[in-house]
Amino acid sequence: MRPPGLRRAACILAPVLLAAGCAGVQSALEPAGVEAVHIDRLLRLVTLFLALVFAGVLVATAIALAGPRAWREKLASEHLVVHAGMVFPLVALSVLLGYGIWVMGQGGSAQAGVGLRLDEDIAAAFEALPASGLRIAVTGERWWWRVEYVTADGRRFASANELRLPVGEPVPVLLASADVIHSFWVPKLAGKLDMIPGRVNTLTLEATAPGVSRGQCAEYCGGAHALMSFFVVAMPPAEFAAWLEREAAPAAEPATRAATAGRRLFMTHGCAGCHAIRGTVARGTIGPDLTHVGGRLSLGAGVLPNEPQAMARWIRDTAHVKPENLMPPFAIFTDAELRDLATYLEGLE
Amino acid sequence: MRDTRPERSGWRRLLRRGALAAVLVLVAGALFVRSGLYNVAASSDHWPFTTWLIDRVRVHSVDTWSSFVPAPPSLDDADLLALGAAHFEGGCTPCHSRPGDPANAIAAAMLPPPPPLGTVVGSMDAKALFWIVKHGLKYTAMPAWPAQQRDDEVWAVTAFLVRLPELSPRAYRELAGMTRTGQAVQDGAELATGSESVGLTECVRCHGDAETGPLSGYVPVLNAQPRRYLERALAEYADAQRPSGVMQPVATLLTPTERLRLAAWYAGLAAPREDRPDPAPGLVEEGRRLAREGEPGTGLPPCLACHARDHPESFPSLAGQNPEYLLGQLGLFRRGARDGTVHGQIMGVIARRLGDRQAQAAAAYFASLPAGGAPALAEIAP
Repeated sequence: MRPPGLRRAACILAPVLLAAGCAGVQSALEPAGVEAVHIDRLLRLVTLFLALVFAGVLVATAIALAGPRAWREKLASEHLVVHAGMVFPLVALSVLLGYGIWVMGQGGSAQAGVGLRLDEDIAAAFEALPASGLRIAVTGERWWWRVEYVTADGRRFASANELRLPVGEPVPVLLASADVIHSFWVPKLAGKLDMIPGRVNTLTLEATAPGVSRGQCAEYCGGAHALMSFFVVAMPPAEFAAWLEREAAPAAEPATRAATAGRRLFMTHGCAGCHAIRGTVARGTIGPDLTHVGGRLSLGAGVLPNEPQAMARWIRDTAHVKPENLMPPFAIFTDAELRDLATYLEGLE
Repeated sequence: MRDTRPERSGWRRLLRRGALAAVLVLVAGALFVRSGLYNVAASSDHWPFTTWLIDRVRVHSVDTWSSFVPAPPSLDDADLLALGAAHFEGGCTPCHSRPGDPANAIAAAMLPPPPPLGTVVGSMDAKALFWIVKHGLKYTAMPAWPAQQRDDEVWAVTAFLVRLPELSPRAYRELAGMTRTGQAVQDGAELATGSESVGLTECVRCHGDAETGPLSGYVPVLNAQPRRYLERALAEYADAQRPSGVMQPVATLLTPTERLRLAAWYAGLAAPREDRPDPAPGLVEEGRRLAREGEPGTGLPPCLACHARDHPESFPSLAGQNPEYLLGQLGLFRRGARDGTVHGQIMGVIARRLGDRQAQAAAAYFASLPAGGAPALAEIAP
């Protein structure tokens, strides 16, 4: 027999431990974006309201079972049934619904008509946004995120699997899909919005504090769906402006002998057929843009930490690291060649 | 009650005797096997009944199982026929002898002896021949095809066998490339590159030398291929990582040093002059686009990302290669038959994204280029 105290402690501890899982980079309970704050407020309001109603029902039940006769008679009156049973729920729920709809409207909007070509759709949607600020497009791919930035001065460039935002500036994010339905969800920043083939949706993200949030595909999209995530980094405006300049620039020249050897391997062994590195002959658009891959927080869309060993593992064992992903496994490289390649790519910050 | 007793005991007695008989037969059989009295000598024939029974079982088995063989490709294809004949010369004549030659005395002493093919194959349809060449025959010395994934090669031998009854010895020698191994090869190059077990003549017969191209469109041009690629291909054949019933037997006979010498010899040869019929210009143009730009929408990178003129030494040069060979290899990649090597695993992923038309276009484009004439990487970048 276990001591009864232990069981009680377990009963109390279990929910506490579960709730601890709600903290962290992917928690809607720790909002760091304007829309997420709205959603959090709605959640708290509804929870409080439901708790109050539940308490009221408990009190009424207690009275009905054990209260004085006069109270029980009052409880049974038609007056109470009509007001507490019909009028109150109708009014309260309508108000909550209205508030909920208003909150929903704060975040995303389905926009932009449908053309035949994804890139034209996105270009048109960019055009439709006010040209004065930063604009971002995120396209769901199997199984990663294609990211494009358009700066206030009209420069447009590609990135992948990571978003960076200036704190305090509402940034419209166009959401599209290249293949199947994906869903873009960064719980700390905003509600989720689907990426639907043939449509371009717009979600406005406004970070309220600097920090890292994790996002994830929230609509089953095939084999590697569970391994399709990304990080969003909110930065103070000045820091962000400096980062944007670096990100918009072409890739750095390799600085070491190993990195130079790595670049030659990259360009001649087929990598450039699918990946682009701006400033080199690599102009592939099938896979993620790697111009500044070394500066990202993760590899393979949130699958591996961004470090040289992980990069080497990704290149050689991609089919095992992320089963069914569309990149062929490059097991043709020797360990030394993999080190050179990883050195080159990690140096692209 | 009383009436049924004797009847039941009668059944029981029968059962007991049957069981006893079975045990006796088993014991007698075991004793016979253990005694070694059965004569397994091939020098004496089976009993006529055994011969008759094996024969019947074989005929009906081939009949039944070959009915599942898919429809053959066009067996009139001259390139297919030549490949089949050339492989027959290397792989089959040790037992079956060349058309016109007397039976090899050693092979003739097998039980059963390999039949004179010129007379037997005439009575069999292509599917039955295919089935026997692919699977071999139990209770005979007929082996199965070493690379079971290579139906294309088995069909080449089948195409040859279908034509065999009408071939004169001379036509056979011509077809199998035996007239292609000139004196020049026998002299200098053989000393430099030939091996103890496989004469260079065996390579030249199919793949040609500096003057002659390959014997068939299904046989690759090896001249001026990167040396490291040729070494890799021979090693992969020898290790059975790259399946081929034609090349595996040859490559396994070569020592690693001999493989290196052969690779170096072919890598150093100038490309032969090839007079190919012009392919459909539309197809070549499509192939050129695919090779230079790929098709990003379907995940197809440009072919030239790996196969540009300045590609790595371990990748093959495709410019000027035979289109039949290229298309055949793309077919193998698409079926996963080349997933056994690390290089094949890369190409396999890409090849499985190709449509039939795209595969034809890519093959036609690279075949239309002069050897070594693929654009360089820097030329395709916009």
